[in-house]
Amino acid sequence: MADSRPDGKAANDGNENLPGRPKAEFLRSVREALGRPPSGSGRAVPPAQPYHRLEETLPHLEAQAVELEARLRENRPLLLDSFAEMAARGGWNVHRVSGVEAAIGRVDSLMSELGAARIVRSGQPVFDDAPVDNALEGRGIQVTAIVQGERAERAQLRQEIRRADVGLTGTDYALAETGSLVIMPRRGLSRLVSLVPPVHVALVRPEEVLESLHDLFLLRRLEYHRRGGEMGSYLNFITGPSRTADIEMTIVQGVHGPKTVHLVLIE
Amino acid sequence: MPEVKTSQFVTASAAAMLDPKLRRALDRVGVGFDVARRSAISEVTEEAWEEWREEARSIKIHTLDHLDYYLELLHDNVTAAGGQVHFAADAAEANAIVSHLAQNRGVKVATKSKSMVSEELELNPVLESLGIEVYETDLGEYIIQLAGETPSHLVAPALHKSKEDVAELFAAKLGLPYDEDIERMAAAARTALRDKFMQADLGISGANFVVAETGTLVIVTNEGNGRLCTSAPRMHIGITGMEKVIPSMQDLAIFLRLLPRSATGQRISSYVSMVTGPRREDDEDGPEEFHLILVDNGRSRMLRDPKLREALYCIRCGACLNICPVYQRVGGHAYGWVYPGPIGAVVSPMLTGLKESKSLPQASSLCGACREACPVKINIPRMLLELRHRTAESENPQERASSRSERFLAGAYARLMRTPGRMALAARIGRIAQRLLPGMPKPSSSKNRSWISRVPLPLLSRWTRARDLPPLPSKSFRQVWQDELSEDTRG
Repeated sequence: MADSRPDGKAANDGNENLPGRPKAEFLRSVREALGRPPSGSGRAVPPAQPYHRLEETLPHLEAQAVELEARLRENRPLLLDSFAEMAARGGWNVHRVSGVEAAIGRVDSLMSELGAARIVRSGQPVFDDAPVDNALEGRGIQVTAIVQGERAERAQLRQEIRRADVGLTGTDYALAETGSLVIMPRRGLSRLVSLVPPVHVALVRPEEVLESLHDLFLLRRLEYHRRGGEMGSYLNFITGPSRTADIEMTIVQGVHGPKTVHLVLIE
Repeated sequence: MPEVKTSQFVTASAAAMLDPKLRRALDRVGVGFDVARRSAISEVTEEAWEEWREEARSIKIHTLDHLDYYLELLHDNVTAAGGQVHFAADAAEANAIVSHLAQNRGVKVATKSKSMVSEELELNPVLESLGIEVYETDLGEYIIQLAGETPSHLVAPALHKSKEDVAELFAAKLGLPYDEDIERMAAAARTALRDKFMQADLGISGANFVVAETGTLVIVTNEGNGRLCTSAPRMHIGITGMEKVIPSMQDLAIFLRLLPRSATGQRISSYVSMVTGPRREDDEDGPEEFHLILVDNGRSRMLRDPKLREALYCIRCGACLNICPVYQRVGGHAYGWVYPGPIGAVVSPMLTGLKESKSLPQASSLCGACREACPVKINIPRMLLELRHRTAESENPQERASSRSERFLAGAYARLMRTPGRMALAARIGRIAQRLLPGMPKPSSSKNRSWISRVPLPLLSRWTRARDLPPLPSKSFRQVWQDELSEDTRG
């Protein structure tokens, strides 16, 4: 624990003497406000009646995930329909295609409809299955792929993303309940590809579609505990285009993020 | 803390009601947000909604009852993810932490996504005094920053501005040609802020939730500015009230169902972003440092108070504002501090002191609509009554909301009510006075009777300045009972 100094000072960080209240003192005042006696150990006392979710152990979560997978497999065709419907209601332009070839063709025709000259594309496994670069480059479109394993120079990568007409990504999950894509930026996947260009195009594979928010958080939580407490730095739900209604409650699309979003569902 | 003007509620609200532009803006709240909220609820069914509200409330009750434990768990897990947690007892401490980090890291430009807590801290002027450029990036917040104003709604901060106001503002402050096309104004803000995002060394965000189990900060947004603030700069500072912690990642499912539907009627917002520590070694981008500042600033006073603790369950959706007949008439600024509307009328007296904010609990018809609309079932009317009780009974005369004459009248009324004989006598005198005094409506027992809008008597004339009274009926209920009803029951 970072809170190792006996005086309780600089509870936050070993090197810096930061302003603010030491952790022990802050928590003591919270405890006192709750009308509880100070804890003897210096650590907060867990609730006498433990919170049910935090009681679940890894095997519990594993078992629930097995059930979940079975349910998803069984309901997949229906799930894809309801995902496609909710995504469209959430503001995505939904393109349902069957097979990888059709997906590549759809991306290709989409880019020509959009008049895209520069594309940035994340390095995700879906593009190994559906290699789109050749077709696009054949048209004279410049594709900058963020290739896993290569550390692009940060400022240069950012410039490419800013100049791009379209950001092309895969997804980690898709939610039928809300019509959202859930993307976890990491190696090969910049946080900015799905955000900075005016158009975002995403490829979705059937096995990525979950039913509900509950499914997603169960799986994320399971993954967190499987990886010994690693969540990954970032996770984003994306549901349709960027929107604002801050002037006279009139909805405008594309204020800081993409104005137009397309989703190609590969069946 | 920003200037507390809650004591001016009576005059500010009277002025607000006469402002036709504000009237038009507030009309949009009821027909826009609240209608959307109702339709989102009917889509999931009332029964499901009620279950979600119950579950969310029970999570909040549990977490707040063990807040010290969950804050420590949160601290440990943010730290484990490579972030740093700071604790601030008040606004000055929170601002000192941000200032220290900004100066120490040589920050020149900071971008902010919407954060009500930072409004409470009045952080921007502190950073600006250090020579740091601070840009609000939520469109509504950007507008009010340019105008030098404060938010008037929890969700739509620039609600009170018309498109003409914004066009004038952009012309004056950004040097753009006057253009009141809303789409083009949004595009202009995008362009103006895009460079700032890319220049910024520091991104500041609030938090809608923080998950203790994983050390994750969650923000719910629509524009994408929250994503940019937490992705582009090399340092991210999240600032949040300590009550925003929830135990488990899996608790988010319920809150993400409740918040967007209650706020704007959306099934989910365009974006939900979850930040757990700084960028990892092999991430492509993201901030190198992540700091989380947990702010008390008066919240432990609410925690200590069992009758008012539930105000800390608030998830700041704004549903109680959108449905409130008082908010809809007077708007957000009349409330005089950061948090307006029914929930503000509870929170402001607790955070700024009853002495300053004693008028706010009176600003309610106690109709109960706020409680019905609240996604975590906060009993706002009960707390408003509790605060009224305190303003009436306080030992400290400065905390008393009523004038001496009002208390005299209330005392006299209480004495009358306790003695049937005196009550009957007073009613008889009242009926005579009602006949003799000028400007009184005819006594009648019909349903569409007219009201007494002014009583030309010393104390009552003041009472009726802002209130109408029903005239005394020609017969009291006691008489009606004796003469007619009791016969019926016997017969």
